Order: sequence, then C-alpha cells, then structure tokens
Amino acid sequence: PSTPEVQKQKKAQKKSLAKKLTEEQIRPGTPEPVEGRVHVHVQTELYLEEISDRIIEVDGECQTDEFLDRPPTPLFIPAKTGKDVATQIEEGELFDFDIEVKPILEVLVGKTVEQALLEVMEEEELAQLWSHQRAFAELRNAEFAELQRLEEQDRRIREEKERRRLEHLEKLRKQKETAEKVAARAFAQRYLADLIPSVFNNLYDSGFFYDPIERDIETEFLPWLMSEVEETLQKKVLGRMMLDSLIRMVVEKRLDEFSHPPPPDQTEEPDATGEEDAAPQVSGEADAADQPVAETEETDQPVAEE
Amino acid sequence: MAQPRISAYLPPDIDPTKAPLAFGRRALPKLNEELQSPELLTQQRALMALCDVVHDPEKVYQAIALGFLDNLKTLLVHHDQTVRQKTTEVLSVMVLHSIGRQGLIRSGVISALTGLLDDPVDICRKNTHQIFDMMAKLPEGAGGVLRAGLIPPLVLKLKMELDEIQELIFDTLSNCLRVEVSEALEAGAVTVLKEKLSHPSTTIRSKAAWVLLEISSHAEGKIAVCKEGVIPVLVSLLEDPQPEVQVNATGALMFAAVTPQGRSSAMVAEAIPPLLKLVAEETSKARLNAIKTLTLLAELPEGRQTLLDHRDTFQRCLDDPSEAVQRAAQIAITVIEWKP
Repeated sequence: PSTPEVQKQKKAQKKSLAKKLTEEQIRPGTPEPVEGRVHVHVQTELYLEEISDRIIEVDGECQTDEFLDRPPTPLFIPAKTGKDVATQIEEGELFDFDIEVKPILEVLVGKTVEQALLEVMEEEELAQLWSHQRAFAELRNAEFAELQRLEEQDRRIREEKERRRLEHLEKLRKQKETAEKVAARAFAQRYLADLIPSVFNNLYDSGFFYDPIERDIETEFLPWLMSEVEETLQKKVLGRMMLDSLIRMVVEKRLDEFSHPPPPDQTEEPDATGEEDAAPQVSGEADAADQPVAETEETDQPVAEE
Repeated sequence: MAQPRISAYLPPDIDPTKAPLAFGRRALPKLNEELQSPELLTQQRALMALCDVVHDPEKVYQAIALGFLDNLKTLLVHHDQTVRQKTTEVLSVMVLHSIGRQGLIRSGVISALTGLLDDPVDICRKNTHQIFDMMAKLPEGAGGVLRAGLIPPLVLKLKMELDEIQELIFDTLSNCLRVEVSEALEAGAVTVLKEKLSHPSTTIRSKAAWVLLEISSHAEGKIAVCKEGVIPVLVSLLEDPQPEVQVNATGALMFAAVTPQGRSSAMVAEAIPPLLKLVAEETSKARLNAIKTLTLLAELPEGRQTLLDHRDTFQRCLDDPSEAVQRAAQIAITVIEWKP
C-alpha cells in the first residue's frame, strides 16, 4: 500500500478515535442541550489556553528514481613515469641451488632419520622393558620358590614337633597310668591283706561256723522242749484256773447256804444228794484238781528252780 | 554447473578403501554413525579409517567416551569376514592403550569375543588371541578373562590351533594361571602341556614350560604336575640346546620340587647331574633357577650326600655379578651343610 493511502487511513482512524473519546466523555457528564441551544466548552481558568486537538498536518511525498547501473570505470592508464630498466638473472647469480638446497635437504633427511631413530629406540626400549620384566619375573619366581621351600620346611618341622609332642604326651600319660595302677594295686593288696581274717571273724561272729550237733540241738530240741514246757505250763495254768473256779464256786455256794435259811428236808436230800453228789463230785473234782495242782505245784517249783 | 568436485580424477594420495575423515572433533562421531549404517561398503570404509585413527591415544580416549565399543561389539558377529577382521584389528590396537583396556573390561567385550574363538578366518582368531593376551597382562584383565570362563576353551584350542596362535594362547594362559589354576587343571591343561613340551618349535617348548611353571607355583598345580609325571620330561628338557627352554624348564622343576613327592620324583628322574651342569656354566640364564632347585633337592638326605661333593661349584657361584645368584648360592651352601 502506498504511503498516502496509509496516511489517510491513519487520519481516519485518529478521527474516529477522537470522536469516540469525545463522545464518551460527553455522555456520562452533561445532559443533552435544550432545543435551540448548543453546549459549548468554555474555559474558566485564569489563563485562557488555546485548545488545539488536531495537529496541523501537511502531507508531502517524494520518490527516488530507479537506480541506474554503475557505469564501467573508465580505463585509467597512469602516465608513464620514470625510466625503463631491465635486468637479466644469469645462472648462479641469484642462488646456488646445490648450496641452498643443503639446509632444506638436511632438515628433510634429519627429520626422517630422527623419526626412524625414534622408532628404533622405541623398539629397543620395548625390548629392554620386556627383558626387564622377564628378569623380574625370574627373580620373583626364584623368591617365590624360596618362600615355598621355607614354608615347606617350616611345615615339616612343625609337623615333626607336633608329632613328637604328642608322643611325649602319650608317654607321660602312660607313665602316669602305670604309676597309678601300681599304687592302686599296692593299696588294694594292703587293704585286702587282712580282709580274709576279718571276713572270717565276721562270719564267725555272725554265726556261720557252727557245730552241727549244737545247731541241731538248738534248732530242733529246744523248740520242742519249749513247746512241751509251754504245754505243761498251760496245763498247770488250766488246773489252777479250774481250782480257782472250783474254790470260787464252793465259796459262793457256801456263802449262799450260810446267807439263806436252811431249806425243807425233802428238798434237802436231793439237795444233799445233790450236794453229796456234788460234794464228791466237787471233792472228786477238787481231788482231781488237787492232784494237777499238786503236780503243777511240783512242776512249778522245779521250773522256778530252773 | 559448478560442483565441489574439481576434477574427475581423485587426488593422488586418497585411499578409496577408507572413509574420508571429517575435520577435528567431528571425525569420530561421523565414523560412529557410518559404522551403524546398513550399507556394507560404508561400514567397511569406516572400519578401515578407524583402524588408522585408533593408533593415536587421544582418539582412543575420545572413541571410548563416545561409546564406540558397543557398536564394535555388535559388529563382532557380522556375517562379513572383512568387517569382523577389521573390528578385531581395531580392538587389538585399542587394547594396547591403558584406557582401551579399561574400557574393554567395563563394556564386557571379552565375553563377546569368546564367540570368535571358532571363527573360520585365521586373522580374526589371531587378533582375538592378541586381544586376550594383552588383556591378561593386566591383573583386572586376567580376572576378566577368568570370569568369562575362557580357560577351558583356550586349553582345548591349544591342541588344534596354528603355532603362532598357540604362542599367544600360552602367553594368555601363563598370565591368567598366575592368578587361579583350578579351572585349567579341570580342563586337563597339564596333559596338553606335557605333549607340547616335546614340540619341535623352540618358542612353543619354552612357553609351554613357562605355563607349567605358573601352574606349579600353586599347591594344586604341584600335585597335578607330580601325578601326571611331567617331571621326567622336564628333566630331559634340562639338556635342551636352547637357553630359554632350559630356563623355563628349571623354573618349573623348581616349583614342582617344593612338595616331598615332587622332590622324590625329581631324585628318581636323576635331575641332579644336568642341574649341576647348568650351575657350572657361568653365563647360563638358568643359573638362578638351577641353584634354587638344587637347594630344594638338598633337603633330602640322598640329595645332600650327592651335593656335598660338589660344594665347590656353589662356591664359584658366589662370585656371580648378580646379587640374587650370590644369595641363592649362599642359601644352597647352608642347606647342604646342615646337620640334623
């Protein structure tokens, strides 16, 4: 778009903007003017100002012409000044090739030889390093073998020592055992020396050695004797009891008789016979009782004597 | 129309088989992207360029920081043999630098390389074994090789591989077995090594003796060596014309004679005369080992008797320039003259 059109558009925009602004300012503010009257802005300050919203604008245009090609530079040949001089270089005047080429050649050859020497030296160094390493490896192996030999020796010696120590311990143990055995045997012998007499004594005391007849008498005869004696004593005791009861009966009867009045004769006879029967019976019993009593008294005495 | 290429002919010193290297820091990332491209030719060219670039230690450092090793791991199982060969070559050059070794251990390339042990191409296998050899020189590398369970396959390979590769395997085994020996013994390494002791090539014999030395420096190794009856073979090797073989054989005998059974089998195999000859030679490299072995044999009563007559040989050893030999000779004289 050309500049005048753009400027016109801008102007129109500005105008519309200005209109909008002024319209917005007027609307909320003052009310519409009455018919026939117009609102006019009036300045009420002390000093009057000239209000000019619109800037005075003037449009002007200018346009350059199209570029023309630069014309070719005119041929400028400076005027000839000075004298014409010519020189001719003969062979051997500027430089001598053989002499000049020497340093270059030297450098070239020197560098090549240097490089070659470096490589050879590197190879030599490498070979030296390898041989050095080999020597070190040999030394290391030799030392290692020495170490292993000493270890082996040490191990052997230690094992030997251990074995000997164990043997010695074994020997000591056996010695101790035999000593103990000997001591135990001596002690046992001494202890058992009077074992036999004491054993015999004990046995004798506890009655293992006996005379058979004595034993016999003791075991058979005496119990029988004792039982017979017991029997006899029992019989005697029995007799005594019988006698005691007889006496008691008699005494009780006589007590009854003496305490009661004499009964009638009829009854007296059977009673008397009865009494007489009873009396001889009683006397018979009493006699019988007397005899065993006498016997028991006799036997009692010899028994008491015994 | 104007083009960046000026002439139809390529410049004279460009190798068409190599990918062009970008300038400065952009070189390796660009190679990384090219390695992952699906086109075979791009991959091959990138690998060729990488092979040359990786001789520089700084580039190795940058390559490992960029994570080249994971890409190389995937390329190890590529179907094309050139790719595999070049990958193994790149890895073998990387492993010459310390940062390369550590990077390899960390990213577990060793286990990825186990698959390449049976590769049909010789160069791949040779490079793989070179990588293992270089790794085993480091203690952590040896540990990594042991953990990847490589010892039984390596022992198997010993029986059927080419001579050059066998030498590399011997070196790897000797460094790994210094650490732990049980796996190798289970895989029957002693039998295989016993055969190799009679190989026509000198290097193989000397290296086999070296591996036997490392095996018998462990206790289980000593038992296995005595059981398999390797000692008579070692004694016969003492008279070998080559000095390296003599040195290693004496060393292996030295370790094997520490145990009583080893000592008695050495006496039975009549080891003393050749050992004395070795000690008497002034310039023999095996002098130290021979003196040590004789010291060990002198602990047996029969050995002591025999050696009492040769005390002057040991006296002469006391003038040897090497201090270790002097010390060893001193110890030997003490042991010989010891009375119980």
